[in-house]
Amino acid sequence: MNAPWRAGLKGCAFILPWLIALCVFIGYPFLAGFFFSFCEYQPLKAPAWIGLENYGELAGDARFHRSLGVTLVYAAVAIPLGVVLAMTLAMFLNARVRGQPFYRVIFYIPHLVPTVVVAILWLWIFNPKYGLLNIVLAQLVRAVEWWTGLFFDLAAAREGPAFARGPAVLLALPAALGLLVLGPAGRRLWRGRAAGLRRFLAAAAVAGIVLAAAAAIDAGATWLAPDDVKRLREPSWLSDGNPMPSFVPLAPPMALWALIVMSTWGVGQMAVIYLAKLQDVPAELYEAADIDGAGWLQKTRRITLPMISPVILFNVVMAIIGTFQIFAEPYIMTQGGPEDKTRFVAMFIYDNAFQYQRAGYASAVAWVLFLLIVAMTLLAFRLSRRHVYYEGR
Amino acid sequence: MRAVHWGLVALAAAVALVAWFEPRPALEDFDPARHAAFKDTWNKRVHLAYWEKWGSFEAEACQKMCDAFNEGQQEIFVHYIRTSQVDRKSMLAAIGRSPPDVAGLWNFNVIPFAEGGALEPLDGLMARSGLTRDYYIDNYLKLCEYEGRIYALPTAPMSMALFWNKEHFRRRAADLLAAGLDPARPPRTIEELDRYAEVLNEFQADGSPRIMGYLPTEPGWYNHSYGFFFGGRLVDERTGRLTADDPANVRAFAWAKKYAERYGREKLLQFRSGFGTFDSPYNAFIEGRVSMEMQGVWFPMFIRRHRPQMEYGVAPFPCAEGVPGPRSLLEADVIGLPRGCPHPEEAWKFILWTQREGLAILCRLQGKHLPFRRPPPWFHEGHPNPQIEIFEQLAMAPESFIIPATRVQLEYRDMVIRAFEHMWNWPVERHLPGGLKGRERERAAEEACLREAAEELGRVRESMQSQLDAVDRRAAAAGRAAP
Repeated sequence: MNAPWRAGLKGCAFILPWLIALCVFIGYPFLAGFFFSFCEYQPLKAPAWIGLENYGELAGDARFHRSLGVTLVYAAVAIPLGVVLAMTLAMFLNARVRGQPFYRVIFYIPHLVPTVVVAILWLWIFNPKYGLLNIVLAQLVRAVEWWTGLFFDLAAAREGPAFARGPAVLLALPAALGLLVLGPAGRRLWRGRAAGLRRFLAAAAVAGIVLAAAAAIDAGATWLAPDDVKRLREPSWLSDGNPMPSFVPLAPPMALWALIVMSTWGVGQMAVIYLAKLQDVPAELYEAADIDGAGWLQKTRRITLPMISPVILFNVVMAIIGTFQIFAEPYIMTQGGPEDKTRFVAMFIYDNAFQYQRAGYASAVAWVLFLLIVAMTLLAFRLSRRHVYYEGR
Repeated sequence: MRAVHWGLVALAAAVALVAWFEPRPALEDFDPARHAAFKDTWNKRVHLAYWEKWGSFEAEACQKMCDAFNEGQQEIFVHYIRTSQVDRKSMLAAIGRSPPDVAGLWNFNVIPFAEGGALEPLDGLMARSGLTRDYYIDNYLKLCEYEGRIYALPTAPMSMALFWNKEHFRRRAADLLAAGLDPARPPRTIEELDRYAEVLNEFQADGSPRIMGYLPTEPGWYNHSYGFFFGGRLVDERTGRLTADDPANVRAFAWAKKYAERYGREKLLQFRSGFGTFDSPYNAFIEGRVSMEMQGVWFPMFIRRHRPQMEYGVAPFPCAEGVPGPRSLLEADVIGLPRGCPHPEEAWKFILWTQREGLAILCRLQGKHLPFRRPPPWFHEGHPNPQIEIFEQLAMAPESFIIPATRVQLEYRDMVIRAFEHMWNWPVERHLPGGLKGRERERAAEEACLREAAEELGRVRESMQSQLDAVDRRAAAAGRAAP
């Protein structure tokens, strides 16, 4: 036996345990599940071939549609939120600040906590009466009420539209001035020609937003319906099945928002991957941009994002796969309630297979879920063709 | 490098050898600390594995029952193996052809296990042993049947009633009297329950509840059964058709919804979130957060555990005006003989003994009644549950009910519970015309709720009935008749 053959054989021997486990624990269930999806299969009975009946039932099953809807809405909100948060976090961690390694460890630690522990921890954080989140939220609401109250108390005696009232402008001025005073940051953001004008416009925009928010919150002409504002005062996070905000079609229910908020707890791992790539971006590109007079925004848009785009794609694909398989958190925290508003497809599969003993039907759902994940991943790859830059090519 | 490879191979071989020769733990292993009393007969006995679900003091009761059996004879030793999710594990064990000798399941497991051939039919064994149908309260035995054959026998039965806090009633006696209600007795109809609850409610300065007279969602385990107290049914026993949208069920859901409307769904949600877990001193009823609650026969034992001095009463859960009572939902834990178990003959001997003698030990220690028509006279003497006779009467009451078994039993129950949740959360104000006030608004809200409940329960019936029809059709095609 010649050397390459021997090396190959040795290699095969080393991967053999993994290969056997792959075939036995993944390959076989994968193929068996495909076969069972065409059968009526109660685990205690032999599977009976029923052709496409399970798939036909899926098409008209309102509960499956609901759980698919829950999963898609969750994915549509949680994935972009997670990606943006992780990237922001990575950029902060990449900055040269004192104690940087400490912060990196702190943000990564949540990823090391087992899912069940995280779920139980958040169960307490979301407790409407004693939960940390509602205690903080109550203080915030009080602060906002104080602020808007002050705004209208000052403006009450005057006439004319809210935006024209002197005291109102007085309240908005600190925000505007703050932006102007933040000279170094402003200078870093906007450089070159007409930078002063841009800074002025930004300050004016901030002042306008401050004014509009104050007017909207206090006048009752809120962007949230009054009922929603009431719900925000002391939300029943995990037991509220009504959409938030209520007037937006397909808006996630409050209980789903709770799971979305919780999903951001684990962005540290994604951030670490971004960070690794961020540190790989050649410094000479930034130096060249500096020489050309590019600001922070331009450097981020033209250099940072294209250079880390393969990692963004990787994280998006992993997030799609992970999100469509979410199970433990809702199973522990809400058991799919209220009203199935947090019953994800993975839970639907579990209930059918183990609770209702419909393993054939559950297999059909699992295959639909698998195809959906494949389709979403392919879509991500296809959309990424024009936006992902590979240095090697 | 080569040395490293050989080292790894040697290590793997050593691990394999240790694993091969390491003796596996077996039921027959003698533990001198636990089994000293059985030392002389240990090796002569047949050892049985009994998987059962209980935890806490209920597990101790089960262990004591097994101990009594083991001490009473010298041929068999029953090992009580505490098993969480006992139905799923028993199912997997049956699939893997390695079932326990005796399996303690729930009544809703009987159909899938029997249909899948995982349980032995017991009719022949019962006849041979002189165990007859009239020994049992009919409803409990019905829970163990499939296609006219008995596949399991009841162990700990369940019946439920209304628990009322006598301290609260006494404290608000003047208000109750002023409202024309007797503070010395619990409500007897649903209408009275509402009136009592209204008087017993106490609110904080901000309008949030401090004490609720009655809260339909507490404990929330039997929300699907409210319809029965309005005269409704979930399954037509005669035809086997599902009747989720029976008008009485619709009325029951609209009645529960009134509580959410009257006291604010959000406020009630927050109120409930402050309750502790069931088995704790912070249980809503034990702590005095709700004055009346629907609970099961086991509850007095938990009250005794966490607040022994509590003054409470138990009465049949009230029915709506004109609906005959008293009545209660009945369910049961069951014991069965898994097909292919290693020692079926000895296992049956143990099961038979539980029915003749053992359950009296188990149910007494768990504070429950027996599933039999004529419990032994000594059973009540010193029974730890002071209210046991009320539960026993409820179990035997002609109006008490079970949910007839269907092939979609669990899914159907979950769907009805979901419909209840839907009604509880349904924002009725968004479906009312503007400008309504007072009684006019109340009437419109009630009509809207009745309409919505009928539609929602109608959807449940349609979807589950079509699923049941399909399952029954396939079963019939496979040569099996519908249960």
